[in-house]
Amino acid sequence: MNSRLVVVLRALAYVVVALVLVGIVFELMGFSSLLMFRSIAEGAFLSKSALLGSLRWAVPLFLSALGVLIAFRAGFFNVGTQGQFYLGAIGAATAVHWLDGAPAFIVVPAALIAGAAGGALWAFWPGLLRVRSGTDEVLTTLMANFIAGLFLIYVTSGPLKDPTGTGELSASKPVAAAYRISTSSGLSPLIIAIAVASAVLVWVLMNRTAFGVLSGLAGRNPVMVTWQGARLSRLGLAAFLLSGLFAGLAGAVEFMGPSGRLVSGFMPAHGFTAILIALVGGLSVVGVVGSSLFFGGLASASLYLPIIAGLPSAAIDVINAAIALFITARTGPRLRFLSRFRRKEAQS
Amino acid sequence: MIDFLVAVLRSGTPLIYAAMAGMLAQRAGVWHLGLEGLMIMGACASVLAAAATGSIPLALLVAIGVCLVFSLLFWVVIEKLRASPIIAGLGLTGLGLGGTDLAVQAVYGTQGSVRAPIGLPHPEGFGAFSSLSILVFAMPVVVFALFLLTRRTRFGLRLAACGEHPFAARSVGADPGRMRLIALLLGGVLCALAGAELALGSLQIFSINMTAGRGFMAFSAVIFGAGHPIGSAAAAVFFSVVEALGIRAQLSFGNAVPHQLLQMLPYIATIAGIWLSGRLRGGARAPSGLGELRDA
Repeated sequence: MNSRLVVVLRALAYVVVALVLVGIVFELMGFSSLLMFRSIAEGAFLSKSALLGSLRWAVPLFLSALGVLIAFRAGFFNVGTQGQFYLGAIGAATAVHWLDGAPAFIVVPAALIAGAAGGALWAFWPGLLRVRSGTDEVLTTLMANFIAGLFLIYVTSGPLKDPTGTGELSASKPVAAAYRISTSSGLSPLIIAIAVASAVLVWVLMNRTAFGVLSGLAGRNPVMVTWQGARLSRLGLAAFLLSGLFAGLAGAVEFMGPSGRLVSGFMPAHGFTAILIALVGGLSVVGVVGSSLFFGGLASASLYLPIIAGLPSAAIDVINAAIALFITARTGPRLRFLSRFRRKEAQS
Repeated sequence: MIDFLVAVLRSGTPLIYAAMAGMLAQRAGVWHLGLEGLMIMGACASVLAAAATGSIPLALLVAIGVCLVFSLLFWVVIEKLRASPIIAGLGLTGLGLGGTDLAVQAVYGTQGSVRAPIGLPHPEGFGAFSSLSILVFAMPVVVFALFLLTRRTRFGLRLAACGEHPFAARSVGADPGRMRLIALLLGGVLCALAGAELALGSLQIFSINMTAGRGFMAFSAVIFGAGHPIGSAAAAVFFSVVEALGIRAQLSFGNAVPHQLLQMLPYIATIAGIWLSGRLRGGARAPSGLGELRDA
């Protein structure tokens, strides 16, 4: 069988395992898991408006997942997507704040670039620490997430605070309508174009350029790549920068598009979901397109769960976590009688 | 000064218990990023059980039971299904953070925090230190016992062998899979205690996301402390000193500097700590068998 197909089938099988496990746990807790899965399906996929809602959540997740894909392929566990996403949103917000009053064709590109730069910057220093001093990037990027979360609170309650805001959560001023790249429905030709262009760009980068090939090899066997004469540290830094760039772009798109303002602590599970999307998609661009639609659907359904099924929206977080627990499993359970059976098969 | 010491011990103790759990896993060759999730499960389970039964021993037992079950699940996933410990650990953490949120809403129907009617007992007659719970007083004993267990016993040597070189360990008759199971289960107990101390030690309250990255900080303390029990505990103390200093700073000049920036201090100290530990020892020195859960 085609090995890629096996990877996809195995990922799907473990997603199902996770869903069944979560279903059992929910029944034990006294929730109806059938009702939950039905409302997820209806809230995410079974009507045109539900599909559009899923697409709205899928696009930022997709952009972030592209970033995760680039880092993971190069062999770096960049789990700082959340922080890079926040810094992207903050970068875009800063640009909009400074350029307030300028025409939209200047402000919109500037904000998108500022967002991408913010995310790239937030990924760059863990990358630098990694390639220069061997500091474990899992920990630095995790800590960077907490710092970015606090920075977001600081920014929304300090420099970028909306003075007229009265809500409990601190937030920035809403983006002026002229600078919004979509309505709150989250879909517009520009956003779709950004997503498609990013997908094509990353596909070409990973499959048709020296960087893609070398970073893919570096992820599997760094020593060999050094022998081939590639500069591993430069490759690694580039992977980190690109990774953060796409997460930052996602933040900028989310801020200028559907959200329309900076709210402290918004979309707290975004980075984690993006990592899952990249893994479920088997770290391939095409796979990530498919899996981001699925997880976009889950994210969209999480808003309907409390209304339709009377379930807390944390249910979706639990589903995502259960999928994360299983998604990298490489084998099925190694049952003793099965392996004996296989040995016999090999002997005959 | 005494007040400061009490504050450090109070915030440092959960961190130290969790760091001990991470240290055991580290020595067995498991990169345990599920500490955060186990910790919050322990905190939630102990508060819910204390509210339901009104008994502290029962609350601790329930917390330990929950953490044992999820440690076992983690072990099955990484050992039997050979999943990546990093991603599975993050999954375990997500399960803890989301699951406790869900559990609180399933039991109380509301979001937010749960109060426990009772807390951990506080020993009398220690002056300012009497505001600390018995788990704080037990902490040095636990750390020393783990030091003896990991550095001075046959079991500890075998554990380290399984982490450094599973193949060699197997050839002398130690089963790496089983050693990891023992390390993770012991770690589950320690994480339950960490969570219970966090929730029932002084506040008697559980709130959503109350661990706030302490599990990851504990994990960093293991790296900073080079997987040595005392070193890891010392690193955890260092992080909580920084946190206590940050709180001090917020009180004394919180108007001049935004307090969110001061709240970043423990995280920045953690990054500096793991960076330094890499620098001082010439690159990150983890057990060489770490992460590759191969038995052969």
